[in-house]
Amino acid sequence: MIEVRNLAFTYRRQPVLRDVSFVVSPGETVSVVGANGAGKTTLLRVLATLAVPDSGTVMIDGQDALSRPLRYRRQLGYLPERVALYEDMKVRDYLQYRATLKGEPAKRVRRRISEAVEMCRIGDLMRTSIHWLSAGLRKRVALADALLLRPRVLLLDDFLAGLDHDMRMAAGEILSNAASFSSVIVTGHELWDFAKWTSRFLVLRDGVIAAKVETAGLEPSVLRERVEDAMSGGAR
Amino acid sequence: MSAVLVTWRRTLGRARNLYSTALAVGGFLAVAGAIFAFTFADADGGRLPLFAIWALSVSQTLPALAAFLAMDVWSDERHSGRIDMLLTVAVRERDYVLGKFLGVWTMAMAAVLIFAVSSVVFLLAFAPSALAGADSAGLLQALFALAVQGALWCAVSVALSAMCRHAAAAAFASVVLTVALPRGIWAGLMAWSPEGRPAFGEMPLDAFAVDVASGFVPVGVCAVYLLLAAVILFIAAKCVASLRLVGRGAFPLRLSVGFTLLLSLAFAVLASRLALRLDKTLDLSAEGASSAFSARTRSILAESSGDITATCFLSRSDVRFREVGRLLRALKRASEETGGARFEIRFVDPRWDVGAAERLVRRGVATESLVFEKGHRMAALPLADGIGERACAATVRRLTTHPPRRMIYWTVGHGESGFGVYDAFGMSDIARDLAREGYSHAPIDLTAVGQVPDDCALILVAGARDDLSRAELGLLDSYLRGGGRLLVLTSAAHEGGLASLLSAWGIRPLAAQPVVGAKTISGSDVIVSSFADHAVSSSLRGSRIVLERPVAFAPSVAAAGADGADRIDFTPVARVGTSALAVAVERGASAGADLAIRPTRIVAVGDAGFVLNGQLAARANANRDFFLNCVAYLAGTDAPGSGGAEAGVLSSGMDRSARMRHALVSAAVLPGVVFLVMVAVTLRRRHRA
Repeated sequence: MIEVRNLAFTYRRQPVLRDVSFVVSPGETVSVVGANGAGKTTLLRVLATLAVPDSGTVMIDGQDALSRPLRYRRQLGYLPERVALYEDMKVRDYLQYRATLKGEPAKRVRRRISEAVEMCRIGDLMRTSIHWLSAGLRKRVALADALLLRPRVLLLDDFLAGLDHDMRMAAGEILSNAASFSSVIVTGHELWDFAKWTSRFLVLRDGVIAAKVETAGLEPSVLRERVEDAMSGGAR
Repeated sequence: MSAVLVTWRRTLGRARNLYSTALAVGGFLAVAGAIFAFTFADADGGRLPLFAIWALSVSQTLPALAAFLAMDVWSDERHSGRIDMLLTVAVRERDYVLGKFLGVWTMAMAAVLIFAVSSVVFLLAFAPSALAGADSAGLLQALFALAVQGALWCAVSVALSAMCRHAAAAAFASVVLTVALPRGIWAGLMAWSPEGRPAFGEMPLDAFAVDVASGFVPVGVCAVYLLLAAVILFIAAKCVASLRLVGRGAFPLRLSVGFTLLLSLAFAVLASRLALRLDKTLDLSAEGASSAFSARTRSILAESSGDITATCFLSRSDVRFREVGRLLRALKRASEETGGARFEIRFVDPRWDVGAAERLVRRGVATESLVFEKGHRMAALPLADGIGERACAATVRRLTTHPPRRMIYWTVGHGESGFGVYDAFGMSDIARDLAREGYSHAPIDLTAVGQVPDDCALILVAGARDDLSRAELGLLDSYLRGGGRLLVLTSAAHEGGLASLLSAWGIRPLAAQPVVGAKTISGSDVIVSSFADHAVSSSLRGSRIVLERPVAFAPSVAAAGADGADRIDFTPVARVGTSALAVAVERGASAGADLAIRPTRIVAVGDAGFVLNGQLAARANANRDFFLNCVAYLAGTDAPGSGGAEAGVLSSGMDRSARMRHALVSAAVLPGVVFLVMVAVTLRRRHRA
């Protein structure tokens, strides 16, 4: 379980996140949505230890994650908004490199790779050079990388951007599989797609969680209306 | 597998796929090859060991190689955004930095190894004599020096790559910091105070490479290099870690990092000063340096006995300090090996060892001298005169034996070169050598004296431009008939009217006959490497003398006609093909010892200027030894053992064309081939992908 309490972040004297608190239980997938500049990516960067919050805590199973970052990162899978891979490597070599770098014992690397590859459906790309992959395929490779070690916290930034229709359809399956071992937090603008897979929407507006919308029992259209309403601050 | 190892492999693997790696390695080989080829050619005749020259060439190029190999190891990660993927993995930043540093260092060392192997192969092809005379351990020592220096340059370049978002900026900053800044400061110092070079000492970066390659490993300096590399890598790791210190909440952490960096820099400075203060030099010069001494020097040392104290009275920052130190250590080792005197070496720095310096000054020793003491006897060699194996050996002989002084008279009044002239056309250098060997010399005006003085060991006619008068020739002839000794240095343009005298004694100058089939360096000179088995020349085998537009000689009728006590032995002691360019004649040697006839000896050399100061300083040759052998033969004080070329003197044996070929292959062909092979490998890998 990941528990975020009173998280605040200021960048160049501009408050980007203020008093952000939420809990994601194991097996749960939470969507963080909001307008551009609302602070979605910053929230995930803070959770990924790529930025330091002004205040607040991030607890994993009751322990302060940010005070022991190395241990925390062992339980972390992160897909950044801007996917950058090594162009000169083949997909197989890249995943092997990342698994070894993450400290996976050599005898388990192959199994971990095959699991991640199967989940992300990139088995036919293994011998292909990353240089020749499209942006969508690169995102799938990066997703496989994030899933490699079955992380307990999975952070997916702008997850569906650049994915084709088939992959978007398959994303639900990937997330539900990932949720079997992770607490998943995704960000993006695809409310319609997220509504199908996530248990909750956290609506960020100007760095503040403006609304928490449970998806259970709501019609997709109603859900979307509520979320969009929260995003626009009731202006609609 | 540890993160360091994974990152190291990744760094190497990525470099293999980059054209920039091929360009950097090819460029490095070209520049280092050119510097080595030209420095090697310039150092011909100098005392710098071969592999010290090699290390010096690489040492100057290595920082740039490190800069180009390391320029994108971090900057590209930052520019592309892959840094986020690295920083979210449970790996410490220091492991990444160490892995990338090791990757860059491995590549740099691989390039250095390629250069080392190719240099040895090219030397085998073009200058085998230089390689044969070199201490083979010197190459390993040179590689060690470069590995230590390379560690620092790679650390600096990796750190700057971590600080810059663009590879070009990182490379530029690295080159400025590791090449332009130190060498610029040094050039500025030299320009500001050109006379101050002895006070500043050698360029520290170059001095380290030369010292270690010569077998003298300064442990403190090595420690400073490694310590600085470690501190710089620590700073690089902190720079990478600080990439996550974004936001107001990171301000205290940024302060902490800044404070840590300041502390680490202060620690590095203090620890470096301590290491330099406690510096201890390991002497790994092994047998090579001492066995490189000539047989003559070893013979002198073998005959020496007792305890000799050699004191180097010189500032440690003086540019000559290292060279003199190497020479003294080698002398000590050679003496131990030959069972000679026990040497004790002392270094007295006039600025620091005030008490010892004062004692020396009270005894009349000037600073910047080398002092040899045995019992109550002392001999001081001013360093301004130049210090070498020969000077030391002559001094040791003077201290341990009492050779009779022999007087050499040199004719004047006909435009001869003078012993007292110090410019390029004088003979002051060889006069100094004669004095060290125990000879005295004085001018003699044959028109003014009625007879040759009784103490005359030999008469030297060094390049008479005007003809000697009939009276002078008569005086010389009568002197020779009484068992006199004559050394004639003659030239094609001015034979000094000696042709008739020489012909009477069996030597016929062939002024108009060109020398066929001679090797040459400048086109006008002739390299002579064929020597007769004669007291004058047998020790010169394997060496070479250089004569400028020489005159050849042939035996005259007189040499063939006489017999018995009047028989003249004509020996072409140095020749090229059939042309005898230096000859020795002896009359009366076969008459028998019971007749107690002192044989007449004449040596004629076909170049009047072959021991002029300019010629001796120009390049490696055995002219000096040849002249001293001639003098010893004529004066009847044949040097013990063989002379040969002065030990430790680099002799490439290459003529101009070989030098050009060596430079071309080193600076263009090899780098071109390596570059093309690396590009081909990269293309193939990319094509497969």
